[in-house]
Amino acid sequence: MSDALKKRKSKVVRSETGTPEGKRGRGDGEQEVRVYSEEVELDGSDPAEDYRQYKLTCKALAKLMNEIQELKANGAKDGCAEVEQKRMQSCIHFMSLKKLNRLAHMRLKRGRDQTHEGKQRVDVLHLQLQNLLYEVMHMQKEISKCLEFKSKHEEIDLVSIDEFNKEAPPEISRISITKDDPHQLTLARLDWELEQRKRLAEKYKESLSSKEKIQKSIEVKKEHLSSLQPGLNAIMQASLPVQEYLSMPFEQTQKQIEIARHLPPSLYVLLVQANAYGQACDKSLSVSISGDVDEAKALAKPPDDSQDDDSGDSDAEEEQEKTKRRRPTTGGQLDDKRREMLKRHPLSLCLDLKCKGTHTHTHNGSVLHLFFYYLMNLNIMTVKAKVSTATDLTGAISAGELLNSDTLLNCLYANDQGRETPNPANRYQFDKVGISVFGDYVAELGHPYQWVQRLGGLQFPSETPEVCDSLSASHMESTMKLLRGRVQSRLALHKQFSSLEHSIVPVSSECQHLFPTKVLSRLSRWTAITHHEYTNLSFTRHVSDAGLARETDLFFLAVVERGTARLQAAVVLNPRYPEISPLFALSLSWKGERAGRSDDNLRAIESEVNVFKSELQGPRPGHQLLTNQVARLCVCLDVYLETDGQDDSVEGPREFPREKMCLRTARGPNRLKPFKYNHPQGFFSHR
Amino acid sequence: MTLLVSCPFHCFKWLHCFNNSYTFLKFSGTVFFVQHLHMSVFSQSFSPCGRFLAAGNNYGEIAVFSLSSALSPDATDLSQKPILTFTAHEGPVFSLLSTDSHLLSAGNGEVSAWSWAELIKRVIHNLHFSLFSFVFSFISIPPLQENSLVIGGGDNNIHIMDLESGIFKSVLQGHTDYIHCLSVREREGEILSGGEDGAVRIWDCRTGHSVHCIEVFKYEDCARPQYGKWISCLTTDSDWMLCGGGPSLSLWHLRSMSPTSVFPLSGCQRQATFYQDMILSVGEGQFVSHCLMGGEVKAQIPCTPHSLNTLALNLNSTEHRVLTVGGSSHQIDVFANLYYRSFSLSF
Repeated sequence: MSDALKKRKSKVVRSETGTPEGKRGRGDGEQEVRVYSEEVELDGSDPAEDYRQYKLTCKALAKLMNEIQELKANGAKDGCAEVEQKRMQSCIHFMSLKKLNRLAHMRLKRGRDQTHEGKQRVDVLHLQLQNLLYEVMHMQKEISKCLEFKSKHEEIDLVSIDEFNKEAPPEISRISITKDDPHQLTLARLDWELEQRKRLAEKYKESLSSKEKIQKSIEVKKEHLSSLQPGLNAIMQASLPVQEYLSMPFEQTQKQIEIARHLPPSLYVLLVQANAYGQACDKSLSVSISGDVDEAKALAKPPDDSQDDDSGDSDAEEEQEKTKRRRPTTGGQLDDKRREMLKRHPLSLCLDLKCKGTHTHTHNGSVLHLFFYYLMNLNIMTVKAKVSTATDLTGAISAGELLNSDTLLNCLYANDQGRETPNPANRYQFDKVGISVFGDYVAELGHPYQWVQRLGGLQFPSETPEVCDSLSASHMESTMKLLRGRVQSRLALHKQFSSLEHSIVPVSSECQHLFPTKVLSRLSRWTAITHHEYTNLSFTRHVSDAGLARETDLFFLAVVERGTARLQAAVVLNPRYPEISPLFALSLSWKGERAGRSDDNLRAIESEVNVFKSELQGPRPGHQLLTNQVARLCVCLDVYLETDGQDDSVEGPREFPREKMCLRTARGPNRLKPFKYNHPQGFFSHR
Repeated sequence: MTLLVSCPFHCFKWLHCFNNSYTFLKFSGTVFFVQHLHMSVFSQSFSPCGRFLAAGNNYGEIAVFSLSSALSPDATDLSQKPILTFTAHEGPVFSLLSTDSHLLSAGNGEVSAWSWAELIKRVIHNLHFSLFSFVFSFISIPPLQENSLVIGGGDNNIHIMDLESGIFKSVLQGHTDYIHCLSVREREGEILSGGEDGAVRIWDCRTGHSVHCIEVFKYEDCARPQYGKWISCLTTDSDWMLCGGGPSLSLWHLRSMSPTSVFPLSGCQRQATFYQDMILSVGEGQFVSHCLMGGEVKAQIPCTPHSLNTLALNLNSTEHRVLTVGGSSHQIDVFANLYYRSFSLSF
């Protein structure tokens, strides 16, 4: 059996290697070598037939095996013919099985090869397809790119077609071609555009050159003009004395107007008003501007910058608030803020009011200088005052307060003390920077009187509604009159005080008839006292209680003496004197202390001096009121002392012999003495 | 009806029928305050109905106050102000007196009459009266002789005038100085007068002669030479007379013509009155003195003015029974109860 296998194997090898030979051989022709080829057989046989043969062979083999089995079981010997035969038959079957197996293998191999071949073909075709698809896509992209292409000419603003047809020369428009072809038309229009632009560029160049030429000529002319300036200046300079001589200050006013442009509005209003009033009604009024003009210019020039500043300020404020929150005690920054808030405009107005002395007081040439300031951040105006006199006014000690610039203008209008800011908005501003009272800064900044605001055209709603019928222009006149009246009355008082201090009561000739010729009581002292000292005097309580002694008033103490009697008179002098008359309160020390409140007669003297003052006013505007009041006080003291003897019959020599003529020494239930002097007859009677 | 007035000086003129309409006085600003500061109230008189009070001051003004509104529970500051103020005379109004229908005022040389009915309606209408060149200082009522007015004045004489005709019926001469005060004894038909000369004279109305003359300063108990001798207050009640001034306030029995008690009051008394079993007196000093007949000072009630000129009791109305006092102030103190000051009326 092993031999048989070997044979078969070699056979197979041979047949396998011989396959191409076999093919070739077949191709060459069958006549050459007849080679057995199973492959040919393979082509001819049908797999299904092979499968059936296989089944039959297997069945037959199994039958033979069973028969051998039966024979063996029946005890047949090896080598028995029957068995041998049967074995022979089964070997043949095995041979056919082997062949079938081989065939099956070959068929499988061939099938595999076929499949592979087909697959390769399909792959090639697929690759080709992919290439084609890619190409298509690329093409499509190109197409869309082309479609989306923008030409520069679309941005150029071309003249309309109609216009183009009309204006363009035919060699450019070429109507025949362009009529139906929009592309050509566009090209033609572009050509035309180019042409036109070229022409315009040419023109531009020409204009530039002409401009340059003109500029050059201007420069030449300018040079010429500026060369004239020094000459003109010289002429102006030379003409100044002439102007002055002719009292036509053209240049000065011009300068003032130039500077005035930089004034804040309210000061400008005041300047205009004061100038107008001065020219129209009052030649002794003059206005000038002082201060740093450059600073004012810088302040006014860049409005944008100022806005920036504002925002910067607010930033700073925020910052400040932040720091404040952190360190509430930082004082330095607050101080700066305060200073900033109270800042004055760099320019100020100086108003000079010449006050001619009244005919009884020859204070010629005294001038009231008023300096008006504008507080930019508070939007209020303030004023400082100064009086300069031609004559030397030192001497009267008690008059020190009279021309004090701090109090000179107090209460020019009733209750206008100028210590509080008139702008209600300021209070909130002050709260922010911690200013409690504006009055603390008045000495430095000036007084913000109501009338100052009104002169500057600033008006604020006041807390106490007051009827104010004199505003604007008419206000100027009344204020100027008041100012002049104030200075005149102060100057008059000043002079009166210096004589009062020398114990002389000046009585002018017009007022001589008010008093008897012989007055024995003498003024011995005249001193200024403070409000505090005044209120501390026991005999002035009724005046203080009635609210007639305010802190703004001036206070004086007069002492009138006769013999052992000493009359003290505490005087309240309202700043609006002589419009509001001085108020006397009396205390007599003679045989004990007597005050005006407890002694009816002293009370009567007080009323004689305080109430019946209209006859004491003297010539208008009543500057002699105070001295006349003092004089009457002396007269009344005379009467008081001379009529005080209770019993004429008793006592020896009287201290004060009766010299005054009296109709009656006592009248009425309170037995008042006669204090009224009747002029030509020279006797005293009751009111 | 008779009126008594005393006044200084010596010549008179007659003026008839002046119908002057007065405008309300308007003070403004400080003048207002200064005038008030130096004001003195000299005289007072209640209206016949007792609901109003008229007061005269040293500026010749008369103010009419409504007591009913000032005393009402819902009184405000405004109700203590006068309902009407007008200038009646040039000089001080030293004396005011109410008749059944009129208010009589004595001023600088003239006596004027004002109808109460019109004053209440705030109409000022001066009735005819006499003009003298001297000042009257005191009025009181003697209802003995109908329609006659007794005037004491600056000519040192007492004049009796017929109110109907305006003719002076008689002149009582005897005082040597200014007459401060007058009083009338109704039943006896006597007029009492006191003056600067220190004498109290008792006159018989019918004959016009001085019946008695008491020189108070000569009585040691009363005399106070440090003050003087004048008599500035005088009042009578049946047989009793009160007088004072320079001398101490003293109570006199008229039938015996002797002082029964002397009141130890400091200062000069300017007006006194009998009230029930008491004597009320005002003068120098910031108080109303309550005295007993026996001569003790029972109480001194403080008030506003530093010295008092006038005191008045409203007996015309039980509803508004008050004591009012005025003096060297623009305020008139009102006492609803005699023992304390209720409030002040103000000019």
